[in-house]
Amino acid sequence: MLNHDDTDDVLQNTFVKIFQNLKNFKGDSKLFSWMYRIATNEAITFINNKAKRNGTTSEAMQTKIVENLQSDVYFDGNEIQIKLQKAIVLLPEKQQLVFKMKYFEELKYEQMSEILGTSVGALKASYHHAVKKIEEYLKTN
Amino acid sequence: MKDFKIDTSEKLTTGFQIPEGYLDAFSEKVMQRISKEEPKVISFYARNKSWIYSVAAVLVLALSLPIVNQLQNKEQELSSTEIENYLTQNKSVSDDDLVNLLEQEDIDELKVNTPISEDALEDELSKNIDVEQFITNEN
Repeated sequence: MLNHDDTDDVLQNTFVKIFQNLKNFKGDSKLFSWMYRIATNEAITFINNKAKRNGTTSEAMQTKIVENLQSDVYFDGNEIQIKLQKAIVLLPEKQQLVFKMKYFEELKYEQMSEILGTSVGALKASYHHAVKKIEEYLKTN
Repeated sequence: MKDFKIDTSEKLTTGFQIPEGYLDAFSEKVMQRISKEEPKVISFYARNKSWIYSVAAVLVLALSLPIVNQLQNKEQELSSTEIENYLTQNKSVSDDDLVNLLEQEDIDELKVNTPISEDALEDELSKNIDVEQFITNEN
């Protein structure tokens, strides 16, 4: 999520959903992973729905938000942080997700595997691809 | 721009800030929404409302088809007087055509309703040029 109001909406939806579905939580994954999965799904659904409502694609919408990051009062990153965000939105959805979870949030591959239902090997590959593309972008821009 | 290595260069943060007091106000907001949204638990009917209505509508339509059919048939029966009027008024329908449509029952009825004397019948037949044809048909 790249904007405060949207993030606020998604976070609220997430906690309401967690509260409503807590009785369905079977304990076959860690509570943290379960909550994180709900949050991830909510965020992706939110972004896709918003893009659809505005008659655009989620990629185009994300790119536009990143272009205007400097005027966002809740963003105080420097030049390189803005460039990093610009590089991230160019990645495919899965790679974005993996990169943010690994790099910004410093989750372990095992945790990410439980949240996303993807094998550790596939996650490592996604992260590797993402890093390569981001470094390439930072070199040329 | 000089080489930036994700895993070795200085670690960056997202650059996004959490507004002051956001998390305190957040739990309040979520609790309010939960108390508002909770009665939603009755959901089976509510969630499937439109489905139930559309299934009901289809059933009503399907079940009323025979009734509609019957009504239409009745209308056809009612209009038999109209057909009669049309036949008597329309000149392209000859007497022969009408006679061909008569059934045994109708003929019997005609006999009862219109007693014709033998003389009159003979008289009429002799006037009619096609009499032979009628006589052979009779046999």
